[in-house]
Amino acid sequence: MLELPTIQDTMNDRRRINGPAEGTRPPVYASHLKSGGATDRAQRQREPTDLRKIFLKTGLIPSASGSSYLEFAPSSSLANARSNPKSLIPPSSALKLSCTVHGPKPLPRSAAFSPNLVLTTHVKYAPFAARKRKGHIRDASERDLGVHLETALRGAIIAERWPKSGIDLTITILEAEDDRWWADAPDLHDASWGMMNVLAGCITAASAAIADAHIDCLDLVSGGVAALVSDDSTEDSAAAPRLMLDADPAEHRSIMAACVVAYMPARDEITELWLKGESSKIALEKGDQRSAHEALIDGAVDAARGAHSVLSEAVRETMLRAVTPL
Amino acid sequence: MVGPTASLSNLHRADGSASYKCPVTGYDVLGAVNAPIELPARKDALKPEDATIEVFVKPGKATAGVGERYVERILRTMLEKVILGREKGLPRRGVVITLAAVGGEAAERGDSYITIIPALLHASLLALISAAVPLSMTFTTTLLGVTRSGQIIRDPSPAAAKAVASLHVLSFSSKGHLLLSESQGRFDFETWELVRQQAASICRAVATTGSDGDTDMGEGADGAHVDAFVRETVEDSLHRDYTWKLESA
Amino acid sequence: MASTSNEAPAVPPSLSLPPSQFARLQPHAYLLAHLSPPAATNQPSIRANGREPLQFRTTSANCGSLTHTNGSAVVRIGDTAAVCGVRAELLHTDDIASWSVARTSSASTNKRQRLAELGEDVTEEDNEDEDDQDRAHIEDLSLLVPNLSLSTGCAPGYLPGAPPSTTAQSISHEILSLLHSSRLVKADDLRIWYQPPNLGPEDEQMDVDEGAGKKAETEEQKPREIKAYWVLYIDIMIISLAGNPFDAAWASVVAALRDTKLPNAWWDVDNETVLCSDDVSEAHKLTLRGLPVASSFCVFEADAAAGWRAKPIPNAQQQKKDGKGRWILADPDGYEDNLAHERVSIVVDKEKNGKTVILKMEKVGGWTIDTEDLRRLVDVSSKRWDEMKQIFDQC
Repeated sequence: MLELPTIQDTMNDRRRINGPAEGTRPPVYASHLKSGGATDRAQRQREPTDLRKIFLKTGLIPSASGSSYLEFAPSSSLANARSNPKSLIPPSSALKLSCTVHGPKPLPRSAAFSPNLVLTTHVKYAPFAARKRKGHIRDASERDLGVHLETALRGAIIAERWPKSGIDLTITILEAEDDRWWADAPDLHDASWGMMNVLAGCITAASAAIADAHIDCLDLVSGGVAALVSDDSTEDSAAAPRLMLDADPAEHRSIMAACVVAYMPARDEITELWLKGESSKIALEKGDQRSAHEALIDGAVDAARGAHSVLSEAVRETMLRAVTPL
Repeated sequence: MVGPTASLSNLHRADGSASYKCPVTGYDVLGAVNAPIELPARKDALKPEDATIEVFVKPGKATAGVGERYVERILRTMLEKVILGREKGLPRRGVVITLAAVGGEAAERGDSYITIIPALLHASLLALISAAVPLSMTFTTTLLGVTRSGQIIRDPSPAAAKAVASLHVLSFSSKGHLLLSESQGRFDFETWELVRQQAASICRAVATTGSDGDTDMGEGADGAHVDAFVRETVEDSLHRDYTWKLESA
Repeated sequence: MASTSNEAPAVPPSLSLPPSQFARLQPHAYLLAHLSPPAATNQPSIRANGREPLQFRTTSANCGSLTHTNGSAVVRIGDTAAVCGVRAELLHTDDIASWSVARTSSASTNKRQRLAELGEDVTEEDNEDEDDQDRAHIEDLSLLVPNLSLSTGCAPGYLPGAPPSTTAQSISHEILSLLHSSRLVKADDLRIWYQPPNLGPEDEQMDVDEGAGKKAETEEQKPREIKAYWVLYIDIMIISLAGNPFDAAWASVVAALRDTKLPNAWWDVDNETVLCSDDVSEAHKLTLRGLPVASSFCVFEADAAAGWRAKPIPNAQQQKKDGKGRWILADPDGYEDNLAHERVSIVVDKEKNGKTVILKMEKVGGWTIDTEDLRRLVDVSSKRWDEMKQIFDQC
């Protein structure tokens, strides 16, 4: 169950096949070294309120009681790079993840009595999911994602319908989101922004998988992200940061603050809220009376509403498949 | 050619044990069997009508890695069929076989573990017999290599095994069934058939049934059949165990 | 109590089960009923999943969809899905502790030395010697690092977050072992060479290394040296498991390696490091040796309890005559996997002249399969190779 953190998984893990003992280095690109950055950065082509297209499908994994697969449509720069490959360095990435639900099943013998359904969440990046190779053992950020996801879903599931039972929810991230444009050095406002997009995707996918497993919920929870970004290359503090829905960190110069919510539209309820960045110090554009964090939450909820329409369509498809005879 | 050596019941705390040493390949395996024992930790996995077989392979000089898991799987799937797990007293219990490679070259990362399989199988068979675990049949195993020129060599050493075009481990039951065949390298089916023929003649004495129904072990071309060797080892051990009875009679 | 019994308990509640429940309660009988239908019904013997005994599941492959990999593939065989991503990283020969020692010492016969000697002059010819050199390089330096993960929630029973299960470890090893023995990847694709310029007569290395020194005297240029190797991290995630993970995993590895592009890399003297070009046109694909295809089979026996007590096991000759009551099933799904014990796994490749070469053959867990069956299965596997080749060529 518990993985021993003492075993360095890159070096000598006897349960896996290890690489060279001397260790390896990721490739360094000459172009990156020379000018300190490529010329054509990825640019957001969408309107500030436009979301990326989400591909969501349920029931692809028959051995699980519920499953879903979620994919973000590649940004215009990535799509360009795909259709007309020039550089080996991808300009941005597009979230891809698969989610399975096992259960409800009896709790293990060792577990304490629980009158409610016990939800266990696991989020794991594939080693090849991000720009930097990920380890095989879950790191802090992956554990963090699992905890956030659990809070987001716990508020939606009607847990008292399954006493003494548990469900295991597992998410495998095949491709994650970048934290910043790949050639940029981490700056003052740097944080793991990509993780927030990943969380939003996880929430939406998990909700679809739970519905696919026929577990009663108050409503479908969907995730949404909004960010305050300042894209001006000149360090002009006068320009107020702009609010972007579903911000892809690779497409922006600097993200000041971001927010991810898990939202249930039917009850207008937020089950999970995660704000990052110094939003209190940011002044919005003139005429906007809201405080920065209010604007962020509103934006994230709008994004979540957008994701919700995709989610409910995917779930409706599942139900139709279940009722219509083949 | 120096034949292998083996002895039974060398360990006193285990229900059964055996050691098997093959001077040609250099492998020396010590096997211990505990059966039937309770496996309380795996209650959910226990089969209601069959014994649960577990095999553990420990390399002598290094820590066990993924390669050992692979060999364990092969040994387990093969032994599960040979052990009569439905016999009285065995269902819902465990048969735990622990094999330690105390001598011989340790396999390196990603190496084929094929070369050590015969020694492991012989040690586990003798240990199972020593522990009096009911078996549906006994078996014998041999290792053959095919060189690039198509020559079949018997028991190639680990160093020689690296140079051959293909490596084969075959195991035959005492009733002539092919129990295990593991082959690796580049070869075609005709080569494998030749290998199988040769392996069969090494493993099994051509059983000529006499008029009295006794099986007469014919001596093969190179003297020792593995089959006869296993039989002799067990007979010797039985002889020792029953000395008191034989002498008093 | 006082209920009248004149309305007779007409029919006892009939004990008929819907097929799905029968399948769960009596899996063995369920599959047997499909495979051996009563003679009167005139139905063909067919598997519970509707396939012919030697029919494989629908297979599809898709390459290069993962952004952060050098090569990637998704292979679906029926409901089993494997995602494989290949990531290339650099191993500098300067980092290898015994590298320079091995180059200079001539007495010791350790493996590193063997390596360094092999590294001296490599011809472009694809001969057997080069094969051996390749193998030595790739194996001794651990240049291929495949790892399979089943902890993806792909099936109940594999705990997410737990260390790899024994099955996963065993398959990882099998894949590595097969990558080595099939010599699929050429070591020359992974080497990064450096041609030192001629600086002058005095050079430390020359004095020590007699063999190389003599050679250098006769030649105009100094011998080129290997500065680094590409290490391929091959990670396979089984996203969905419905039996037969090995075939899917291996197919995804082969497809991902076929898709793998390594950037052009060179030794940069000023920075004392290896630099790469991100230009796609300069990158090279791996040249793989052949296209090994794995096919797995299992044997379903009519009498699950056979072979214990009372009924002695027939010896090999008798058994050949009976030969009934068992079915060889190709590409078992999860349901069949649980019911079968004897397994055959064959990896074949075809040479240019269409001749089938076996790279690996495994038969374990029973005594019903022998030469004749194996010959048939090798034929089936080589037919499967044609099928898979088409699928690989399309992606």
